[in-house]
Amino acid sequence: MKQAGLKFSILTTAVALAAIIAGAWLAGSGRENSSQAMLLPDRVMTLFPDPKPLTAFALIDHESRVFDLAGLKGKWTFLFFGFTHCPDVCPTTLAILARAREIIAKSRVGAEDVQFVFISVDPNRDTAGKLGQYVAYFDPTFLGVTGDDAQIASLARQLGAPYQVAFKPGMENYPVYHTTTVFLVDPRARYHAMFTPPLDAETIGRRFKVLRELEGAKAT
Amino acid sequence: MRRWHPVLVGLVLALTFTAAASEEAGVSARDAWMRESPPGVAMMAGYMALQNDTSRSQVLVAARSSDFETVMIHRTIVREGMARMEHASQVELAPNASLLFAPGGYHLMLLNPKRTLRAGSRVEVNLEFRGGLVLPVAFEVRK
Repeated sequence: MKQAGLKFSILTTAVALAAIIAGAWLAGSGRENSSQAMLLPDRVMTLFPDPKPLTAFALIDHESRVFDLAGLKGKWTFLFFGFTHCPDVCPTTLAILARAREIIAKSRVGAEDVQFVFISVDPNRDTAGKLGQYVAYFDPTFLGVTGDDAQIASLARQLGAPYQVAFKPGMENYPVYHTTTVFLVDPRARYHAMFTPPLDAETIGRRFKVLRELEGAKAT
Repeated sequence: MRRWHPVLVGLVLALTFTAAASEEAGVSARDAWMRESPPGVAMMAGYMALQNDTSRSQVLVAARSSDFETVMIHRTIVREGMARMEHASQVELAPNASLLFAPGGYHLMLLNPKRTLRAGSRVEVNLEFRGGLVLPVAFEVRK
């Protein structure tokens, strides 16, 4: 009984400390410049104190359902742009995100309100079927999304995600260039934070936990 | 004149041969692994730590494996905010230094596997250096 009480107080203290530290970052950045992005000390997550609402776009997920702005609402969304013919950066990032999801799912709040979306900027080669088996390999909950070049470009532009498909007719292994950043969109479909390499699952999980607690507290 | 003790002669000879042998095979690889490819993808990336224990630069010029149609030396670089793969025609290993092939940097790009490779499979890749040195490296496939 006594031991349980002690455990609880340690836990509350830890949570309170995390909230205070995170709050101090937020407050600090707010004072300096409310519109400026803030790179947190571990240099992995950049937080936007004034998150930017995203506007309409229309893509298609790997089960051929529409994935649009409504698909971002009510959930935290981790977004990563890439293509399946990508041996280094994409599998590395998706493996890390799969581990991050596992960490988030095991946490008290769980991953019910969190989704992970892989957007292929190479719809020419990445059909819905191909994307489906590709993302499911990393995590069965991952969503593969692609669509018209113009629609991909619309979302990418809003997130400041540069990419370029160097397609040449008759060329099977044409190169695709894309950002290595992972974008975090909040449940109000606002671009809230980004993660830049070197990425690691533990840091993503830890940062996300604090951010979600802060936002949850604001909402109530 | 004092005669050399046979054991001493033997020791000197042995040391000389050891030195020659390590000079000969003074390039080594550790922690060689390649990431299992997701279904529908016919390319993999291989990573390792290369160590040059010789007093000369060693230049990696090619990589080959009987398990793949093509093996290329690549490097992921970020330019204008975008990652791209650059073909490296050669990679120089400085004397007595190591070089890491790691995600987001240098890697072997392995195209079109000739057999099914799953986590736990072993793949031999021959690394070819300028001057004719060939270093066989066993890569472990990992998920």
